[in-house]
Amino acid sequence: MEDAAGLMERVRARDADAFELLYDRYHRLVYGVALRMLADPLAAEDVTQAVFLKLWSAPALFREGNFGAWIARVARNRAFDVLRSRSSQGEPQLGDELSAADALEDTALARIDAERVREALAQLPPDQREAIELGFFGGATHEQIARQTGLPLGTVKTRIRTGLRRLRGTLESVVTV
Amino acid sequence: MTAHDELLDNVAAYALGMLPPSEASAVAEHLKSCEECREEYRLLRPAITAVAYSAEACDDPSSGATSASPLLKTRIMKEVRAQAAVRKRTQSWPAFAVAAAALALAIFSGLLNLSLNARLSRDRAESAAAAQTIADLTAKDIRRHPFAGGEVLTRDEHLYIAMHDLPQPPAGHVYQAWTLAKGAKAMAPSVTFSPTGGVAVVRLPQDAALQAAVAVSLEPEGGSRQPTTKPIALVRI
Repeated sequence: MEDAAGLMERVRARDADAFELLYDRYHRLVYGVALRMLADPLAAEDVTQAVFLKLWSAPALFREGNFGAWIARVARNRAFDVLRSRSSQGEPQLGDELSAADALEDTALARIDAERVREALAQLPPDQREAIELGFFGGATHEQIARQTGLPLGTVKTRIRTGLRRLRGTLESVVTV
Repeated sequence: MTAHDELLDNVAAYALGMLPPSEASAVAEHLKSCEECREEYRLLRPAITAVAYSAEACDDPSSGATSASPLLKTRIMKEVRAQAAVRKRTQSWPAFAVAAAALALAIFSGLLNLSLNARLSRDRAESAAAAQTIADLTAKDIRRHPFAGGEVLTRDEHLYIAMHDLPQPPAGHVYQAWTLAKGAKAMAPSVTFSPTGGVAVVRLPQDAALQAAVAVSLEPEGGSRQPTTKPIALVRI
């Protein structure tokens, strides 16, 4: 199976068949992230359409590394745009472009599978999982989470870090890196 | 908890994309100089990618994460294939590149007729360069590295960047090409240029065989020693 980097080379040469293969392989990830953040299937489809058309019109945004990590980040950013327009408040956002260092780092744990990740997340203590999910999918800052939960800011930050480290460790034990 | 433990906690929040911009900038700056925090960042990034994958939709409705409508794919592919077809019909890089080079040759030829003897040798050199450009751009063995808005073209040691739909730079600014030599860590400045009629075909003096990437950014007139704006094109070759 041709890898995503090879398909992106073809997309840069305006190969619609390569684009279709990428869509088939990654649309569930893009749609899933958008649906989780927006809880609205139609809005999630709009985000999915925007992300893939962006991929077609500006393929140079992806350079190298884990394509899934990159497109998930783009999906999160577009979904944030929608959340922002709903709440008219600013949320933090990651850039669409991966730095070369980011891209290489993300090749670790490249062969992850959604079901195993869901199981690994489920193994985290609920307070750590909730803080991570609120931060990633809810667009909440650590200060907002601290206010919502009544916990000190430092506790929220530590929970997030501890949870992410534990998640990484659990995944390493089940995934061939 | 030490002050550095707090920084490590901030690195986790930064990697998760949940810091406000001002704090995110501070962490990004700190990462440049702190190996321990960089290592923490490297360790956590895949976990964050995994969090994203936890939301991946599947076709099993019982999972609660159902997939998008098949009609969505139909809509997207219809638009993409239409654009690809237009691109195919109007794919005119060689034509426009040759036209631009031929225009340059015509101008230089005109200059040859009008110039003073003192300018003759310089103009002949420029004319020869324009002829070389035409030869390169029409050669079957030229290698193309497309990006949104143009192509980087290489043939032997010759290196070109060709861009279309390029707006005129703001007053006091020019476009500047940059090259990243193989094994180098930083971009090196190359030529500055402005488009004519939205089109630019520029020969870079660097040896194509020694370069890993080419970039273009908008810079103050006269060019810069390092990019001062985000590149509008960055192409690996």
